[in-house]
This record gives sequence, structure tokens and C-alpha cells, in this order.
Amino acid sequence: MLYRLILAALVAAPLAASATALSLPGTPPDSVAVPGPPAATRPVSASNPLPWYRPSHVVLQTGGGLGMIAGGAGFSLKDRLDLDILIGYVPEKYAGSALSLVSAKLLYSPWTLPLRDKLTLKPLSVGGYFSYTHGTINDEEPDQYQPGYYWFSTDTRVGPLLGSRLSYALPATASGRSRSLSAYYEFGTNDLYIVSYVQNRRGLSPADILTLSLGLKLDI
Amino acid sequence: MRSFFRTFSGRSLLPVAAALLLSGCDLLEFSPNDHRAPDSERDLTAKNLALLAQRPLPAGDTLRFVFTGDSQRFYDDAEDLVRSVNQQPGIQFMLVAGDISDFGFAREMRWINHDLRKLKVPYLTVVGNHDLVGNGRKAYEAIFGPRNYSFVYGDTKFIFVDTNGREYNFDGTAPDMTFVKRELADNSVRRHVIISHVPPQDEDFDPALSEPYAAALREDPRLVFELNGHRHAFSIGEVFGDGVTYINSSSFESRQYVVLTVWGDKQFCLKQVTF
Repeated sequence: MLYRLILAALVAAPLAASATALSLPGTPPDSVAVPGPPAATRPVSASNPLPWYRPSHVVLQTGGGLGMIAGGAGFSLKDRLDLDILIGYVPEKYAGSALSLVSAKLLYSPWTLPLRDKLTLKPLSVGGYFSYTHGTINDEEPDQYQPGYYWFSTDTRVGPLLGSRLSYALPATASGRSRSLSAYYEFGTNDLYIVSYVQNRRGLSPADILTLSLGLKLDI
Repeated sequence: MRSFFRTFSGRSLLPVAAALLLSGCDLLEFSPNDHRAPDSERDLTAKNLALLAQRPLPAGDTLRFVFTGDSQRFYDDAEDLVRSVNQQPGIQFMLVAGDISDFGFAREMRWINHDLRKLKVPYLTVVGNHDLVGNGRKAYEAIFGPRNYSFVYGDTKFIFVDTNGREYNFDGTAPDMTFVKRELADNSVRRHVIISHVPPQDEDFDPALSEPYAAALREDPRLVFELNGHRHAFSIGEVFGDGVTYINSSSFESRQYVVLTVWGDKQFCLKQVTF
């Protein structure tokens, strides 16, 4: 039930933003050539970039193997390359023990398409993630196994990501940087699922190994 | 263009979001250790036992079942095994000697079930060491059921025991000797069959329990044989030279299984099948 609420909130936030945009008066349907205020449509103000060590956004997401709920902060380079660091959590009820996950996601979004008013779309985000899981029950104690007994790590995963992002422009910051609230989805998988699929192209389908993340990004 | 997106976000996005909420939960995996699954893919041991209970062995029919093990990451082979087993006449169920998964993930156990549920007969599993990796023990319990259990069919008690001692750091809990002795003491049936993943002579069996386990089996007058997996190769013999027959299963990728037929007090015959 709680999870349904989280999901509903994740989906509702961008829909609410989009509804606000829809109800804006004074813009006839065919006025697509009329640009909005520069601060609202241009995602990053080149004149006032953040120093590299300052996070540019906060993130909240669910799924993707990175937690029932995962939150963190991220860095952005030229509005195209995002590095997000997340802390995730899975309750015992769903995984057998309470899990904490630390993950890093690197995503490259080559295109930003203006849709209308304050909405922009990054149609393609491609990248990958690394995650470390703490709190598994059988966590390879010293001397439990000979080296190479299991060839894979039980707590470190890597995998590819592919998704899209829809952004809604918010009022700019006091220092003039533009801000937006984005909703994204990412399809992914992990190293072990990929190995399983590659060796069983008949017995498994790509859909069998897919995972999905849904999340929100807010510029700060 | 503009009206397209107005339509797109206003009318299309809501159903898409609703569909994701309803059907996407399976995709929205919290962790590979996430063991949530639809009701139809949980408690499979109980479900298969219920299926078996619906078709008791008719009087005069011979007890006959397929024995295999170590399905692990061999999904292509699993499809072929199902096709082959479905052509075997007169079998009542199939036993899988553990290592259903490779990484202890519920998703892997469900992948194997997607193949094995196409069998014309029910199948029963015992937990293997790979099923106990990470949080596998909880995934196995969610998808299949208890790690130690038994059922009676055809006047025979089939006893499933977790013997993967190394996964518990040889803490003396696997095999659960209290469970083993209690089950072997059941004299309400004619025969006993015991099935586990790691055989007692293996270095992954708790060394402190190897002898007590073998002794308990030796002292059971009703025991027909002991069934194991783990070694990925068929073998049969008296491992300890004490009159107890140990049969090790082939794994799915070795594309062999055996059909076991049991009658009388302890008589059995074994047929090897290659697929």
C-alpha cells in the first residue's frame, strides 16, 4: 500500500506540472514559434555554471534494482551528462533482509527537444550504473569459500540503462540559473541477467531480464 | 505539433502511467534479491504437492518418477528436458536435486518454473547451495517453500533435506539431524526415499554431520536410496560400503536424466535417458 502511494506520487508530480502548463492562458494552440522567456526554456545558463563539485540536482527514484526507494544528488555536465549518486533501501519484507544500496548512475542525453511552454523532452538517455548492496544474509564470510567458488559477486552489480526524461521549467534561482523538475523512466538490467540471457537466447527473452526505474530530478 | 503533444500528455500519458502502476510492479525490481512474485509463482512446493494429491497412485500401478538436478543457468536445456520428460509414459512426478538458480535470485527460480510448469506432471525441488547465495534462502522459501519437508506418495515417504552446510559456515544446522531422524522414524509407510543437494561425502557437506547423517540412513530399514545433485554427473553406488545406495543426478546441461521405478520393499530399477 505504501509502495502504491510512492508510485502514485512519482507519477503524479510530473502530470501535475504538465496540467499546470496546459492551463496557462493566453497562448493560442498554433503559436509554436513564439519563444518563452529565455530563463524558462534554456535548461542551463552558460553564464553562471556551477563549480564541478557542487551537486546540481537531487534525485528520488524507485526500482531498477537500486532500491524500493532511492534518493541522492547528482552532477551535470553541459546538460547532457549526469552522474547521480543514490542511497537506496529495500525493506526485509521484499528481499529477505533489509538492504541498503549505494549506487552511481552515469547517463548521457544527447538531445533536448522543446515541447511547448515550459516542457522539454530528453528523448534518449543512455548509460549505466554500478551498485553495491549491504545487508545480504549470506555475505561470503572469510574462509567460507575457496577463491573462485562462486565466480560472481553477490553484492556488486553493474548494468546498462536506457530511458527518457520529461522536464518542466521552474522559476530560475536568485543567481539566475534555470531550474526544472524532471520525471524519468529507465529500462535496465544487470550483469548476471545479461549472462543468463546471452547463454540462453532461446529459453529467455530480452523482456525476461528487463528492470524499470521511475524517478524525479529537481535542480537545486 | 503542439496539439499532438497536448493530446499526448493529456490523454496518452494517464493510461500509460496507470498501466505502469498495474503491470509494471514486476519490472520495478527493488533489488535482484527482491523476491516479490505473483501468487501463481509463489509457494510452488505446496502447489505441486496439491496437484500430486489430486492424482494418487492407483492400486496396482508402479511408483515411477524422473530424477534430475542442477537446472542453474541452463534455460535452453530446460525447455528440451520438459519436452523429453513429457514423452515418458507412466511417470507420476519429477524430482530436482537443488541448484534451481545460479545466483540465488527469485527471478531465476521463476524462469525455471516458467519451463517446468509445462511438465505434464508436478515437480518437487530440494534447496541447493546456489539457491542459498546472498538472500537466496528467503527467495527459495518465497518461490518454492520450506528447505526441509516431506510428503507421502505411493506408500513411500519422500524426505527433502537441506544439506548445503558450507552456506551456513558449517554451523551444525544443515542437515537438520532432528528433522532427518524424525522423518526416518516414520514407520507408517512402507518405504523411505531421501533427497538432498550436497552428498555426504562431499567437501561442501558439514564434516561434523557427515558420519551422523550416513549412520542415520544406514540404520533405516525402509530406505530405498539417497538422491543427490551438486556434482553435475550421474553416478550410483554404495558410497560408504554400508548397504545404502546413493544416486547422483545429471545436471540440465549434461542433457540426461533418470527414470526411477520403485516396488516391493526396496526394489528399484533405473533407466538413463538422454535428450
